[in-house]
Amino acid sequence: MPKQIKRHPRPARRRRPPKEGIGFVGFAVRALVLVVLGAGLAAGLYGIHLDKVVRAKFEGKRWALPARVYARPLEIYTGRSLSVAELEGELGRLGYRDDPQLARPGTYHIQGERAAIRTRAFRYWDGYEPERYLSVDLSGGMVRDVADGGDATPLALVRLDPALIASIYPTHNEDRVLLRREQLPPRLVKTLLAVEDRKFYQHHGVDPKGILRAAYENLRAGRTVQGASTLTQQLVKNFYLTQERTLERKLNEAYMAVLLDRRYDKDEILTAYANEVYLGQDGNRAIHGFGLASRFYFKRDIDELDIPQTAMLVGILKGPSELNPFRKPERVTERRNLVIDLMAHHRIISKAEAEQAKQAPLGVVEGGARPSGEYPAFIQLVRRQLRRDYREEDLRSEGLRIFTTLDPLTQAHVEAAVRARLPKLDRTRRLPAGTLETAAVVTSVAQGEVLAVVGGRDPEYAGFNRALDAVRPIGSLIKPVIYLKALSQPQRYSLVTPIQDKPVNLRVAGVMWRPKNYDHSVHGTVPLYRALVKSYNLATVNLGLDLGVSEVAAFLRDLGAVRDIDAVPAMLLGSVSLPPVEVAQAYQTIAAGGFRAPLRAIREVLDASGRPLNRYPLAVESVVPAEAAYLTQWAMRRVVTQGTATWLNKRLPSGLTVAGKTGTTNDMRDSWFAGFSGDKVVVSWVGRDDNKPMGLSGSTGALRVWGDIMASLDTQPLDAGAPDGVVASGACGQRVPYIDGYAGSACGGGGGRSSAPAVAAQAGAGAAAPADPVVAQDAGRAAAPPPRSRQERKDRTQQREVSPFLSDFYGN
Amino acid sequence: MAPAVEALAARADQQRQTGDYAGAAATLERALRIEPRQAYLWNRLARVRLEQGQGTQASNLAARSNALAGAQPELKQNNWDIIATIRRQSGDIEGAVEAERRAAGG
Repeated sequence: MPKQIKRHPRPARRRRPPKEGIGFVGFAVRALVLVVLGAGLAAGLYGIHLDKVVRAKFEGKRWALPARVYARPLEIYTGRSLSVAELEGELGRLGYRDDPQLARPGTYHIQGERAAIRTRAFRYWDGYEPERYLSVDLSGGMVRDVADGGDATPLALVRLDPALIASIYPTHNEDRVLLRREQLPPRLVKTLLAVEDRKFYQHHGVDPKGILRAAYENLRAGRTVQGASTLTQQLVKNFYLTQERTLERKLNEAYMAVLLDRRYDKDEILTAYANEVYLGQDGNRAIHGFGLASRFYFKRDIDELDIPQTAMLVGILKGPSELNPFRKPERVTERRNLVIDLMAHHRIISKAEAEQAKQAPLGVVEGGARPSGEYPAFIQLVRRQLRRDYREEDLRSEGLRIFTTLDPLTQAHVEAAVRARLPKLDRTRRLPAGTLETAAVVTSVAQGEVLAVVGGRDPEYAGFNRALDAVRPIGSLIKPVIYLKALSQPQRYSLVTPIQDKPVNLRVAGVMWRPKNYDHSVHGTVPLYRALVKSYNLATVNLGLDLGVSEVAAFLRDLGAVRDIDAVPAMLLGSVSLPPVEVAQAYQTIAAGGFRAPLRAIREVLDASGRPLNRYPLAVESVVPAEAAYLTQWAMRRVVTQGTATWLNKRLPSGLTVAGKTGTTNDMRDSWFAGFSGDKVVVSWVGRDDNKPMGLSGSTGALRVWGDIMASLDTQPLDAGAPDGVVASGACGQRVPYIDGYAGSACGGGGGRSSAPAVAAQAGAGAAAPADPVVAQDAGRAAAPPPRSRQERKDRTQQREVSPFLSDFYGN
Repeated sequence: MAPAVEALAARADQQRQTGDYAGAAATLERALRIEPRQAYLWNRLARVRLEQGQGTQASNLAARSNALAGAQPELKQNNWDIIATIRRQSGDIEGAVEAERRAAGG
């Protein structure tokens, strides 16, 4: 049994140590005290001042704690799609270790398609998830069964702990894992005291003998070779921001150490020290405290450290910059072994243990205690939502815990799709590798939760986030908005209402505007749905003008666009510019049957003690009748089965019904696809940062990215079931549904015209030609009038801080 | 409903009955992530919001439930009952009477 370090906690340290303490000190200090006393009032005030400083530092915001950002927790339940690889990926992100014995929480073992997991306990604000032994059957990429690993009791649902995906650090890039006194392992404490401050529990904040000894040694050497700071003094030293070594500073430190010791319990001081001590550097992030250092160097919690690891931590605190285990392993090993010898000397460990410990490698691992940093685009979105509700300094210092909607499984699929597809797209256009850029957003349909965000072709690069900030013309993505607007007036429009696909000549601000269909043909009178499926520009412009340009612009905002929209006729063909995330909001509303759910990247924010500060609960608002949304979805499904997105039929698994719309802008500068399955909205964009034409339409560019993403996601097909109030009809030889009580059975006059010629015309337009119409403005002259464009640009500048989360109906 | 969803719905009901509305809503949201088209869950969430005094959301959620309810007349009546209550509270007597008619199965 190692000898215990004697503790004399002195419950009432009320004696006045200055006088007595100074009695121990040599003549110099005594003289100083006399001088101080002689100075009278001034010195008294100074003491009070120092005492205040000590208290403020110690009791006030001693530690600025970073905000921790978490991904959504994985819910495991029978019937959910989950492959072995996906589960292993998730456990890896959580830092679970493979251990057939499941010796501690946070371990797992997988055999074939069965996983044994020993979970970590986690306190969510809405409930406690206890530590559990789980047995999960994942046959065929699906959770077949989840049961208690001990008595095989079936479990309906288990929520794992959430993966830490980011930390928002305090201003000085400090990071910390705060520990309480009882969390400090006895072995660590004994070793620390043996090495740094043997008399910690006896002295009064300073160790006069130690000072004398050090002073003598330093005088002899003519420079500072030995320090005699007690832990208390070292802690005080940390209250300062600079590291200068002057006599005045030393005296101040000593004085403050005495004051600190007088005012606070030894254990409080020790705990503060253990959390404050500087133990290394990770880039620009300082590693403070044993809790974080343990994770940083060993990827372990402090209570999991073995003897050599404990010795190393205590060893390096003398000078973490020089004693860097990654850069100078030999020096650190030497120092560690010295500490191990001391441990044996003080009987903290046995001689045999010491010999064994000295043989152990340092065992440091790269990348510990580092939030993955893998999701920069998503984290940017989180920070924007936070910025609306929190001050920056609170985010950086209050230890907030932020629970987000990020689904790392979905995000991984989106990233994989982007990484694989973009090089192929570069090649198809014979562009230098890396020319094309992209962005993608995935949200849930019903809740508007943002599940994944990719801001560029290198998803780990934390640069320009195109998903949020590439405000680009949306082209034909505007069309479903216009048709939905029409269909929400069932007294005027049905899916088969005849629409004129005929030339339009419009004077806009003194300039003639003559939009064209992509293939420059004119289709005459067509049923409304076909104009959308085939993306006819002229029919859309005529319909939009009937509805009213400002009405359409206002409706786009109802659906979810946040920025001001310039209500010019060219908007009807998608001259309006939106970032992908706002397109996702508008399409979410259509996908959810007209029920807009404000996009959210955060579910809740808790304070450091786990109390909810802010919840962002599910909220919905009906902005368009469910019947009209259904009819629009019906037409958008046909975009996939017979329109501009038929490529998807080859790409997606059969049975995965989806709906969507391609978008292409002038000279093929922007390629878009936006659409949804039954439960996921996906928006993808492909283009060039320099805004040059790239030769890809919506169909040949973004659609490919979109299809790759959708094919890899765990998702449900779009439900074809019509809501109440919608009936099918037999018009035009098709089952075209209509809203009950309104006429919808009459076919469009020109609707009899087969769609085949149009397809043929598109196919014959050449290899570089998109199958999808572009914004048909003649270059230059017929473009949207320049003065308005400038105005639009100005608005955009003013709106730069526009957040997609401005919705005002978050309840709580 | 899947067993996981059933377990969550039952838990939400307990939470609601003990006045833990925020907890009940969070539990229902968890359930909705598993079965987003389950009209019953939207109805329960509407009921929680109603009891919390969040009329607008209660009404919106009840409407969402109705849009998904298909052939579940009792569930629809319950949703109309929620909508009727909100309309009456907000002074929309005519709308409330209409909703009450539908709540009664009319």
